[in-house]
Amino acid sequence: MTRALVLFAHPVPESFSASLHRATVDVLEGRGWEVDDCDLYAEGFDPVLSCEERRIYHDEPANIEPVAEHVERLQAAEALVMVFPVWNFGYPAMLKGYLDRVFLPGVSFGMRDGKVGGCLHNIRKVAAVTHYGTTRLRATVLGDPPRRSVTRHIRAVVHPRAKMRYLALYDMNRADASRREHFMARVTRQMESF
Amino acid sequence: MRALVVYCHPSPESFTAAVRDLVIGRLTGAGAEVQVLDLYAEGFEPVLSRKEWEDYLDGPETGSPLAGHIAALRWADTLIFVYPTWWYGLPAVLKGWLDRVFLPDVAFRLPEKGDIIPTLTHIDRLAVFTTCGASWWLTRFIGAPGRRTILRGVRLLCGRCKTAFAAHYNMDSSTPETRAEHLKRVDRALTGLIGPGRTSTPGEPRAAGAGG
Repeated sequence: MTRALVLFAHPVPESFSASLHRATVDVLEGRGWEVDDCDLYAEGFDPVLSCEERRIYHDEPANIEPVAEHVERLQAAEALVMVFPVWNFGYPAMLKGYLDRVFLPGVSFGMRDGKVGGCLHNIRKVAAVTHYGTTRLRATVLGDPPRRSVTRHIRAVVHPRAKMRYLALYDMNRADASRREHFMARVTRQMESF
Repeated sequence: MRALVVYCHPSPESFTAAVRDLVIGRLTGAGAEVQVLDLYAEGFEPVLSRKEWEDYLDGPETGSPLAGHIAALRWADTLIFVYPTWWYGLPAVLKGWLDRVFLPDVAFRLPEKGDIIPTLTHIDRLAVFTTCGASWWLTRFIGAPGRRTILRGVRLLCGRCKTAFAAHYNMDSSTPETRAEHLKRVDRALTGLIGPGRTSTPGEPRAAGAGG
């Protein structure tokens, strides 16, 4: 069975984000994926990279110790699905802190065949499911930092031929029920064919 | 000039701390009133809670533990961020500061109809001083999301303002020479931002209010 790590970052179970998260997990499981559902808020993940972690950041493999369990889960996955809201043109601090602390040298990047590069070659599929308060136009004018973070940074550390899907609902504050349903249907379809 | 320096680094001995001291020295040398928020030192909690999310649209709560930070942000006409770039973006602690402090009625207003209205228009100067593990080329290729989050995203809420940016790239292979060169770069960027001046001995910056 193929394994997918779903990273979810939103504090409220009744939020639209949480519905997207549930739909994502349900569809993947329905399609036969073994889902490792990592709800960072529910698990009480601490996103703060500490002074000690900073000191040992480049010391492989000691740098892994504080987050060993998360590293193991990441390395066991063949697919990575991130479900989060965009806040202030970026990831929520909770998800950013996961990247700060878990995407370590020797885990997400490092020496491979004599060259520095991505290390998460176990991950062959990546998807982000997200929504923005702002419009697509404004996000694009501002350079859409979260889209770039996923489609360029995450892409750079996973398998070179990994498939990437970035599913975003823009202008969420003014999205009526039909636009939300439409987006939910799109996420469901994409996850079915994942 | 009233300058708020938002500083975020876990280690007191870091090069980023040297950049912060230079920034504070130049500001006080120019006669500015300076407040420094040292997010790690005050144990700032970056996670936006369930309650905060539910009350988000009501704006800041009276007596909120963030009141000191909000007051400092409203007080400032100059906003300077000093931090290391991690994964092309802001450290989680600094990102969480934006998530929790940039509330409706603080950073913007959401009218019933129409577009958001920026309310940080009292900020005339905005600057980012950072370090990047990656090279200039790689950072550009990825699209410098951290820089854009502040110099485009935050700037949108400030309206028209002067900006300054300096980054030490390839930080992991830095040498005393490249670091000294970078401090000069920061110094020049500050001259563009606040005008020429000499660095005064960093004194005791006024402490900002209670942390979150």
